[in-house]
Order: sequence, then structure tokens, then C-alpha cells
Amino acid sequence: MKKLLLPASLSLFALTAAIPLSASAEYSVTDELRVLQGFQAGGGSDALAQITQPFLRDILGVNFVNEYIPGAAGAIAWTRLGNQSPKDGSVISITNTPMLMTNYIINESINYNIDQLTPIANVVTDPGVIVVHPDSPYQTIEELLQAAEENPGRITIGNSGVGGDDYFSTIMVENATGLKFEKVPFAGDGPSATAAMGGQIDASFNNVGIVYGHITADSLRPLAVFSEERLPMLPDTPTLKEIGYDVVNGSSRGYSAPAGIPDQARDELIAAFEELATNEEFLALAEERAFYIDIITGDDYMDMMKRMEETFIEIWANVEDDA
Amino acid sequence: MDSSMLLAGILNVLTWWNLLLIIGGTLLGMFVGAMPGLSATMALALLLPITFSMDPGAGLSMLASLYVGASYGGSIAAILLNTPGTPAAAATVLDGYPLSQQGKAGKALGISLFASFCGGLMSGIALLVAAPLLGILVLKFGPIELFAVAVLGITIIGSLSQGSVVSGLLSGGIGLLVSTVGMDLITGTPRMTFGHMNLFSGISFTVALIGLFSIPQALLLIEKSGLSAKRVANKITDRLLPKLKDIKILMPNIFRSGVIGIITGLIPGTGGDTASWFAYNEAKRFSKDKSRFGKGDVAGLAAPEAANNSVVGGSLIPTIALGIPGSSSTAILLGALMVHGILPGPNLLTEHGEVTYTLIWAVIVANFALLAVGLMFTRLCVSVTKVPDGFVACAIIVLCVVGSFAINNSFFDVGLMFAFGLFGYWMIKAGMSPAPMVVGLILGPVMETSFQQSMLIGGGTFMVFVKSPIALCLLLLAAFSVIQSTPLLGAVASKFKKPA
Repeated sequence: MKKLLLPASLSLFALTAAIPLSASAEYSVTDELRVLQGFQAGGGSDALAQITQPFLRDILGVNFVNEYIPGAAGAIAWTRLGNQSPKDGSVISITNTPMLMTNYIINESINYNIDQLTPIANVVTDPGVIVVHPDSPYQTIEELLQAAEENPGRITIGNSGVGGDDYFSTIMVENATGLKFEKVPFAGDGPSATAAMGGQIDASFNNVGIVYGHITADSLRPLAVFSEERLPMLPDTPTLKEIGYDVVNGSSRGYSAPAGIPDQARDELIAAFEELATNEEFLALAEERAFYIDIITGDDYMDMMKRMEETFIEIWANVEDDA
Repeated sequence: MDSSMLLAGILNVLTWWNLLLIIGGTLLGMFVGAMPGLSATMALALLLPITFSMDPGAGLSMLASLYVGASYGGSIAAILLNTPGTPAAAATVLDGYPLSQQGKAGKALGISLFASFCGGLMSGIALLVAAPLLGILVLKFGPIELFAVAVLGITIIGSLSQGSVVSGLLSGGIGLLVSTVGMDLITGTPRMTFGHMNLFSGISFTVALIGLFSIPQALLLIEKSGLSAKRVANKITDRLLPKLKDIKILMPNIFRSGVIGIITGLIPGTGGDTASWFAYNEAKRFSKDKSRFGKGDVAGLAAPEAANNSVVGGSLIPTIALGIPGSSSTAILLGALMVHGILPGPNLLTEHGEVTYTLIWAVIVANFALLAVGLMFTRLCVSVTKVPDGFVACAIIVLCVVGSFAINNSFFDVGLMFAFGLFGYWMIKAGMSPAPMVVGLILGPVMETSFQQSMLIGGGTFMVFVKSPIALCLLLLAAFSVIQSTPLLGAVASKFKKPA
């Protein structure tokens, strides 16, 4: 159902189903848009695809064919997008930031970069959050930072893996506060949250979408969020900005095409996402699934990527110097 | 909340579609198991891609029933042909084949079926009872404890290797070495990838497993097919349904073997083959008349069969809770879970509780299906054993290609699978078992990352392992299992024995 096994049979299915359901805005390039997904079916990126693409199908009058090419933290799919895909607007990919940039920043043998892409639109952002065990001695973020000051390098902070958004969040907090943590990488957000629940680490730098269920079940307690403003779902949790540290970070997912696609195709795709941003039904569904919608299109999305790239190159250069 | 998921799970299983899948899976498993040389692991690996398009509950139900079916199917060939259909049925041959030579093939198969059913049911119930506890247990298993589990699993390698311990350790070592391919979790540096991006996330153990277990078997079948010394299967002449009197006598034996199977399944890296030998030896030890063993004693038949089926539930416990597969077959089930976007750990019992309970109920229901399907179709399985080897071999290779491609939609993986296949073939020719290599491949990354995490958490001292009681126990157990397999223990023991 979700997994693409037999492209031939699926495209046959796509052809029969491609009879446009809405005539509002026809996509000029193709009636079958291929989406390269850098992660397994059923994961977070796929979840985004499953809720956005039915709406985009109606808006653009195209069928979406998801192709799952997991591996190397998405880099296999993104290399194919940047280097080997037709530049006519028939292939796009779900792009996860900052993973999209940190992949090639920390790893020389990955040879794509954001200049090879046409960013279309960011769709969701999952803000970063600091969570601790419910019985943790740290009641507030200040107490956690205080403890780190008293025991430099001995407070253990879990993250989702080197190069992930939480790893960089930890470094950003270190840089902003001048403190030192012991960064413990795990194989993803889930295991990092589990370690905090089991009390094996002092805190986990995680993402709201991942741990929200555990917060409501009282198996984890949030100390601070890495967003610009307090989040509607966690109204009592302060932002780091409030306590004087300018650290905003999270994990975002959107769509990008290869660089050099025709302007018309780009404009049509961007227009579709702008329409999506105003679709009540879509916004209601997103809220129900606890997606934090953050639609940023075209040049603004490119600026967002550029800013992140710059920040992370600088942070990584410092990490490498320390090592 | 738990009980609602328990109910939701059983309701999921008891839909027509799922029941059909379970019966189909059991039957298919029985057929594959009955073919000499095709193990339960291989059946799972080859049929995994079929379930990709199903919803997780249905797909896992089918795989679980396939596993249960294949565990019994192995004994059909063992009893009728004197060739174990699966490695786990090797112990079944000892008393099963003599029985069929005496014209009691029906009785032998009936008892084997019944013992399999009891063993499987026991382990299913154990799993169901253990599941709510797993959620609590899992939080106690941090990196420090996981490291100890992995070490214990690795020490089993020596006992896994049939024949030479040295070649077993070599095979396990190669597995550990191969497992280091990919990005280092702690530093993010790619290792042994030769700059090849397809290797950055490491070698998928499902791909390696398909190659190592299936391709060599297909090649060996092709080798044999020309020589064609026709195997003659004994006929089933007597009735299949076991007598109540026989069952009554066997019950304590089946129960003991079932417990052995569950416990063996719990230990990472050991599977049906270890459990069945273990149970066979215990049955012999408890027996009053040891001389009848090997000549067609039903006790020697029931013990390994109960044990190899009860491994199913036991080995699912660490798989579901810790993400460390208890056997190579559950490694495939773990792969299936991950393909469906479900990560083992505490979420499996909360967020994905419905799927997990569906899987657990499926194991239980599959055992009832096995009893019914077994009684009806065992006679039909005899014809499966007559399929020419060449056909079987070709079918295996086709399924291997489809399977290895479908995991990541990557042709690179197909090449990798063939490379592992050829290497596995060479290993078998060189007298090395590929099983320890797979154990190394699965446990290597767990051991390495949990060790590094433990060091970071503990501030770089080894004392962290001593401070955790769970880790300390497991590590001592591991040390004991190493010492008992060295001549050292034998020397000490004989010194104690001599004066007596």
C-alpha cells in the first residue's frame, strides 16, 4: 500500500487515477510527480507525505508517486535529486533541514549541496525541546544550567545522533552559555527520549512532536523549548530566548526540486503550497496529527536554508578545531 | 489502557482477512520447512517483501504464522527422509526417522505436531504475560545494560558453531568486523565505506542474512541435483492423531522442553537449533530407559519439537523490548517491524501497542492454526519433499533478489546480497557456519554504540558496569559461559570428581 514495489503496476494505477479531480490549476509539466524520500516508509517524512500529498494532488491535478530510497541519513535520495534527476519539474524530494545541510557539512564524501536544489516550500517544523525524567532534580532550565556550571562536562545530554538538529542545538546552547555538557548520541530521537525516561541521562534534547505523547503521559517533563515563542501545546514551558539565550532550532521538513527547473514549473509548485497554507481542511488535519505547520515558500525557503548552512558550517568548524 | 490494547490486538487478529493470512502463512511455512535445507529464517527472509504492502498488523501476523509453521515443517522431512528440513529439526531425526522406519510415521508426525503446538502455545502465553512487564523492564535497560546483553549474546557464538569452535569464532569475528562498516554513531565519521555513500548507513543485516542463508543453500541444492541419489520418503500408513494415553505420558517432558525453548529463545543469538538439542539431552537425562533413545523413543521426538516451537515466543521478548533479536528468525521479524516504521522499545507497547499485541495474539492463534492445518495437510507436505532440487534452487534465488531489492529499493543491496551469498557458500565449503557471522553482524553495532554511550555516561570508567546490578549479572553470566567452554573448567571439574 505504502511501499513502492513494482513501479510498472503502480504507474498503471497512477494513470487510471490521474484523471484530474479538480480543474483549478493544472500542473504544466507532468501528470505524475515523483517524490524521492530519503527515509523508510512509515517514518516522519512519510507521515508528512501522507497528509500533504492528497491535498496537493487536488490542487495540482497530478498524481504523486513516492519512491523510498533510505540510507545515509537521506543523502542517497538527495544526491540523486541534485545530481541525477531530470531538471524539468517531474521529480521533487522531501527535504529535511538541517539534516539536508549537515550531511555534507560534516561529511566530505557526500557531494551535493543546496545550490543544486530549487527549494519549493517548507511545510512543517518540529521545534526542539529539552526534556528530563519526571523525578529529575532539575525543575527548571536554570537549575539544569546551574548544575552544568557546577559539574562542567558531567551533565549528560542525549541527542538523536551526530549531525542531527539536537546535536547542534546542544552545541548552540553550549556556545550561548559558555557551559560544557557531555553529549551522548543515540540512534534517533526515540532512543534518546527512552534513555531520559529510564533516567540513564540527565536530559534529552529532543523534538516536541516526538516526545509530546510522553509529556502528556507524565513520563517526561519539558524544561524549555527552542522556538521563537512559547508553543500553544506547551504554554507553561519557557523558550530559551526568554531566559536570555538566543537559540532557536528544530527539525523542519519541506519539498525541493533540482536546480534549474523551468520557472513556470517552480511558480506553479510554489503557488500550490501557498494555496495549501490556506486550506482549512488541511490545517485542521495537521493540528489533529500534531504537526506544527510552518509554510515558507520559494526564496524565503532558500534564505532559511542558506542561514542554517552558514550557522552550521561555523559551528562544525569550531567542533573540528576542538577535536 | 493495557487491557484495551490486549483486546484490540485479538480483535485485529480475528478478522477474516488476518485469519486467512495466518492459515495461509502456517501452510506456506509448513511447506517451506518441509523442504530439506530451507530453514524458518530463510522462509521469513524470502517472504518478507510480500508483507511490505500489507498493513503492519496483517504483515506481522503472516510472518509470525510462517515462522510457527516452518518450525513444525522441519520435522516432516526429518521424520520421513532422515534429513532435517530445518537446522532446528536436526535433533528430531534421531528418534523420528527410526519411528517412521518401524511404520509409525503417522504416530511420529502426530506427536511432533502436538508437541510443537504445546510448545508454541506455551511460549505465546509467556509472551502475552511478559508483554506488560516489558514496558517497565525496557526502561531499566539503558546503554550499560544493553552492552551486557550484547556481550552475553556474543559469548554464545562459540556454542553456536557446529563443529570447530575456532572456525565459529572466526565467523563471528568476521561478522563483528563487517558490522563496523558505516558511520560511527559517536563521531559521525564514515568507516570502511571507501567513500561509497550506499555504505554510510552500514550493511543492512536483513540483506546479509538473505545472502548468507539462502544463496549458499540454493547453490548446494544445484550441486546435488545432478547427482540425484533419489531420496525415498517413508510412507505415512498409520493415523496421525496421537492417542490420549501417549500424550498424558509425554506432558511433563513437553512442558520441560517448552520452558527450555522459551529461555533459550530469550538469549540473543541462540535459536531453535540450540534449544532442540538442549531439550533432547534433558529428555534423555530424565528418562528411565536411556537405551531406547535414538531407536524411536517418542520422548526423544517430543522434546526437540516442543523446544524448537517454544523458541518463537521466547525470542520475540528481547526483540520487542530491546530491539535485540533472540534468534536469526526474529532478526527478520525485527527488520519487518522497522520497514513498517515501528521501532522496538517502550513505544512498541504504548504507541504501537495495538500492533504488538496483534503480533503476540497472532503467535497464539497461529499455533491453533498449525494444529488444524497440520492434521489436514501433513500428508500433502510429503509431496513437497519430492520437488526437484533445481526448481527449489531457482525459486530461492529469484526470491532473494526480490527480497534484497525491496528492503531499501536499492540495486546496490542486491549486489551486496550476492556478495554475501558467495562468501557464505565459500564459508560452508571451508567448514565454517555462517550463523555466528550473522550474530556478530547484529550484535556488533549494539555492543559498540552501547559501550561508547556507557563510557560517556559513566565519565570514562569501567565502574559503570559494576554499579548496575543487571549489567553485572549479565556480564558474570557471559564470563561463565566463556569459562565453561574452555578446557580450564574441565580440568577443575575433573580434579573435584576424581577423589569421589
